[in-house]
Amino acid sequence: MRGGIRLLFLPLALSPLLPFAVFRANRIAQGEPRSLVETLGAGPAALAVAALAGGIAALAFARRPAWGAAIAAALILGIVLAAGWGASSLMAGVPTQARVSPGAGFWVALVAAALLLIDALARMRPRPALRLALVGFAVAAGALLLSSGALSQLSVMQEYRNRSAAFWREGASHLWLAFGSFAAAMLAGVPLGIALTRRAGARGSVLGLLTMLQTIPSMALFGMLIVPLGWLAANLPAAHALGIRGIGAAPAFVALFLYSLLPIVANTVAGITGVPRSVTEAADGMGLTRRQRLFHVDVPLALPVIITAARIVLVQNIGMATVGALIGAGGFGTFVFQGIGQTATDLILLGALPTVALASATSAVMDALIGMLPGGAR
Amino acid sequence: MIELRSVSKVYDGVAVVDDVTLTLERGTLTAVVGTSGSGKSTLLRMVNRLVEPTSGQVLIDGAYTAVIAAPELRRKIGYVIQDHGLFPHWTAARNIGTVPVLLGWRRADVRSRVRELMEMLQLDPDVIGPRFPHELSGGQAQRVGVARALAARPELLLMDEPFGALDPVIRAQAQADLHRVQRRLGTTVILVTHDMAEAIRLADRIAVMRAGRIEQFAPPADIIAKPATPFVAELLGEGDRAFRYLSLKPAADVARPDGAAEGAADGPVLPGHATMAEALSEMIWTGRDRVRIANPDGDPGIVTREALIRAGRPE
Repeated sequence: MRGGIRLLFLPLALSPLLPFAVFRANRIAQGEPRSLVETLGAGPAALAVAALAGGIAALAFARRPAWGAAIAAALILGIVLAAGWGASSLMAGVPTQARVSPGAGFWVALVAAALLLIDALARMRPRPALRLALVGFAVAAGALLLSSGALSQLSVMQEYRNRSAAFWREGASHLWLAFGSFAAAMLAGVPLGIALTRRAGARGSVLGLLTMLQTIPSMALFGMLIVPLGWLAANLPAAHALGIRGIGAAPAFVALFLYSLLPIVANTVAGITGVPRSVTEAADGMGLTRRQRLFHVDVPLALPVIITAARIVLVQNIGMATVGALIGAGGFGTFVFQGIGQTATDLILLGALPTVALASATSAVMDALIGMLPGGAR
Repeated sequence: MIELRSVSKVYDGVAVVDDVTLTLERGTLTAVVGTSGSGKSTLLRMVNRLVEPTSGQVLIDGAYTAVIAAPELRRKIGYVIQDHGLFPHWTAARNIGTVPVLLGWRRADVRSRVRELMEMLQLDPDVIGPRFPHELSGGQAQRVGVARALAARPELLLMDEPFGALDPVIRAQAQADLHRVQRRLGTTVILVTHDMAEAIRLADRIAVMRAGRIEQFAPPADIIAKPATPFVAELLGEGDRAFRYLSLKPAADVARPDGAAEGAADGPVLPGHATMAEALSEMIWTGRDRVRIANPDGDPGIVTREALIRAGRPE
């Protein structure tokens, strides 16, 4: 590894000096920091520090990005396993309502190692198929780790066990909110963008309106939607039957849909107007009808730009869907806001960590898809 | 036969093409020459209705083009443009097959037609066929563009500055290819160019355009011999018009049998298709006043300096 990324070795090397874990007598009690030695015991802690030092040295001398990626991934695995193992040893012989969470040292080391991994992966320039395989591998490894029980004594996993049914239910509504509103926005936004390329006059006003929508804070938009959706629910039995209410999933879905429109419409317009003039002229000159030109030339060539918007919107929606929990829309945000209410940090993590993982995996998959588009379309 | 009858195109009250009437014979190559803004591209684009005439009619083989659906009309007319306009997300082979596919040809027919065209244009179908346009050189892309235009065996080919983006060596090659292909297929070609030398080299007839009007429509030799207006003369460049004139005529026209010559010429024998300009250039360069020229029917003929100089001045 070379360049400025080596600066990350410093926090990684110093992380053992920070508390590795936080011990609480119960889930909302004040946390007490525990050092690496206190968490793991002197012998294992020395081993862990030696392994960390070895990992940093190996990273420093790793010539090929693939080796760097492998070492960084191994470091991440080691850090997570150490936290799980440390939690088990701290929990040994204390009452079951006690909790152990990862401490500052854990987070610093984890973030530094993750950034090193991302950098190494970026330098590898993997082909799209390999990228998809790496995402699949990471998901499988994560699932294996979580189901193995190695982390079961960590507080966040205890929160999960107490709410496993709710976790999957909220996960499903999170996915529905994020992906459903995305799909609706694609279905509406791409045709709207195509229509705008043919009506230059309407383009400015429509894009202006969408930009204005984008500037409304999400809470305000929820509030603005409560009245019309509540009216619909009260006056249209069909709408009521569909589950439309003034609060709940419907306004969150509509808000995410509205926020998604601007990137999709704007990029569809940019992608199609960006098709080189010589190409559209040749398509017309060859005798393609308007429809044939649209489907065989304009849209395929605009696709990388449109998919870039899709990636932005999906990641944005996965994050913003959390806020929907405030108006009863469900999703992982439910745990975040419950956790804030109860000052239970680990419950917040139970909502936040899957959201981050979902957004990262989605972003990586979309990047790979963009790379898979054929030929000079890239 | 292509007929343009009083064709005009008016944009914002300005006639870009102003009452043009032209008749182009089947199987000929007509060059439309003019400076930029002369309306030559607009004129070309009115033939395949990429631009609709404000007034006047275009007829192809006696049929009014205005009543044929534009896509259907265009599929019967080849079209080549300067930046080749290849579809960047399709391979060279798929680009060439565009119109046959639109016309619903069977897949095997499309494939064999693509191979045939690529071989005719000296593109290796197995090497170049699967490549994407961004993997082609400028000359290859240009040839793929020509192959695509010819794919559905059009009887008419429109070319808008087709060689403008090529370097001089590749351009000469591409011009020679066009000449060969056009003679072989008997396609009627309309070629828009700002390069008078290119027009003289390739065209059967040249239409010189200025400000939307045709200044002169005549075979190259007549354009050189009798420029109709000062603008045509200016476009021609008067300094070397004798050489241009000589470059149009085969040297064999003024060759005499070798034996009859007063003293045999030495030096290499020029090929039988050499032009008078090439023969004169050879004399100047080698310091001789006569050269031999190959004769497919017998002994080499002989060309003298006096004969060339006489022939270089139109009566």
